[in-house]
Amino acid sequence: MKNRVSYYILFIAVCIVSSCTTTNISKYYSKHKPVLYSIEEVYKSEYNKQKFSLLFTDKSYNHLSLELLTDSIRYIYDFETTENRLNDTLEKYHLNISAMRSLISNMQLLRCKWIDNLDYYVDDKKNYLLYLSIYKQTFRLPFIEPKYYVLTYFSQPQYYDSEGRLLDHRSRRRLRKINNEIFYRVNDKVCYTVSTLFR
Amino acid sequence: MKFSFSYWLKQFVQLLFYIYIGYPLYAFINIDTTQTSTREQAIAFIDKISALQPSDHWPHIKPALFLQNLKENIHQPLLLYEGTNTNFCGYAALSYLFMHDDPLGYAKLMLQLYTDGKAKIRNVVFQPSQPIKDVAGSLHFKGALDIRPVEQMWFLCLADHFKGYLNFFNTHYDPGDEDKLWASVNYGKFNRMAKRLFNYRVNAVGSDLMRPYIHDMYEYLVNSMKQGITVLYLNNTILRKKYDRIKANIPSHYVILLDVQQVNDDLVNITYWDYGFRTMRQLTPSFLNKIIFGISQCTIKRANEK
Repeated sequence: MKNRVSYYILFIAVCIVSSCTTTNISKYYSKHKPVLYSIEEVYKSEYNKQKFSLLFTDKSYNHLSLELLTDSIRYIYDFETTENRLNDTLEKYHLNISAMRSLISNMQLLRCKWIDNLDYYVDDKKNYLLYLSIYKQTFRLPFIEPKYYVLTYFSQPQYYDSEGRLLDHRSRRRLRKINNEIFYRVNDKVCYTVSTLFR
Repeated sequence: MKFSFSYWLKQFVQLLFYIYIGYPLYAFINIDTTQTSTREQAIAFIDKISALQPSDHWPHIKPALFLQNLKENIHQPLLLYEGTNTNFCGYAALSYLFMHDDPLGYAKLMLQLYTDGKAKIRNVVFQPSQPIKDVAGSLHFKGALDIRPVEQMWFLCLADHFKGYLNFFNTHYDPGDEDKLWASVNYGKFNRMAKRLFNYRVNAVGSDLMRPYIHDMYEYLVNSMKQGITVLYLNNTILRKKYDRIKANIPSHYVILLDVQQVNDDLVNITYWDYGFRTMRQLTPSFLNKIIFGISQCTIKRANEK
């Protein structure tokens, strides 16, 4: 009886500790840098051919939603990753099938849920950033929403305050928010946040 | 004597006067039709304006950017943008109706709001409060809405003027309220705005919490589109695969239905407008039933139609 109680206590303690554990994003970033770099490069090169975003729609990362943006209309297709018709669609939109397949498998590997190119404005001028949401793998208590690491890749070095928070502008001390979230420095061009919203 | 025969005779004659002369005269003066205009008229009107003076009422709106935005909206109405993570989708859908059927009225109303700080459309008088005037033109981190002062001004004015039960606990604007319940639009409020502002005949089915029971959704949508512009009130959490426990079972998004086609028994193609873009996606009929909470068919009223 005493043993059983101690097991329960141990189990609860493990749950609490693991739910409070936070992975250091800098360590995570350095550990997965080659894969993240590959995702970034492939996405950017394919995006230049055809604007698109990718979303994994299930927990097993086997179903994806491909959003293709043409000049007049946005098409949203749902696929299973093993389906052949995915290749047909990629080919139709002049995307490189092997590059896209490697992007998809790398996203599955990191449990990256969503990738997109977002527009943002500085001094009324349009800029783009790459937006990547990665499922945060920690113990999840029931009724608690899942969290995501959101990484943003800028094309130019950004400005940060002393606490490493992303600033809107060099001359202004206003924090820049993306999807209503404050972002923190990973390096000059890459920022992160932890959010319950992946897009 | 107050109730003598002559008194009642006089009342009767007055009644006959109202019935046969007064009401027809009133109806003739106030012809109950939806105001419409063509895009060509709006383009001809807006292209004559080469510059605007800064407005004392809207300190953060840049005149050149305002005019450019207004011209863009007239020439390319589909570009109208509600902003990322705002609750302006209801107002954007409403503006689509306005710009589709009365672009000239839209252009004039926006210019009137800009120059006078207030404007009137039908019996609705927009007199935005000072916090609205102070913030319009300075909303930021909302995507393309950052550089679209016309949308900022118009959506903020609409949210400031029209209130529904969702706005009950937050009726006055504070910075950041564009993302909160202050700006939200419940289904009844949307239909009321469409009727009061533009005098549409609105045929609506659905509600904020329960899906409408429609036996054949595809047929219903096709027939609805034949009558007029169809606005769908959707569960965006399911549609866009967002994860939100609170919003998982309720509608939160308005889109304009542009086309619906049956591919086969298992798939339907729908094309809709939102976020400044047309989107086409393939859905199963059961999924379509699951996401639709409201269908508003907005039809232009012809002369004296009730």
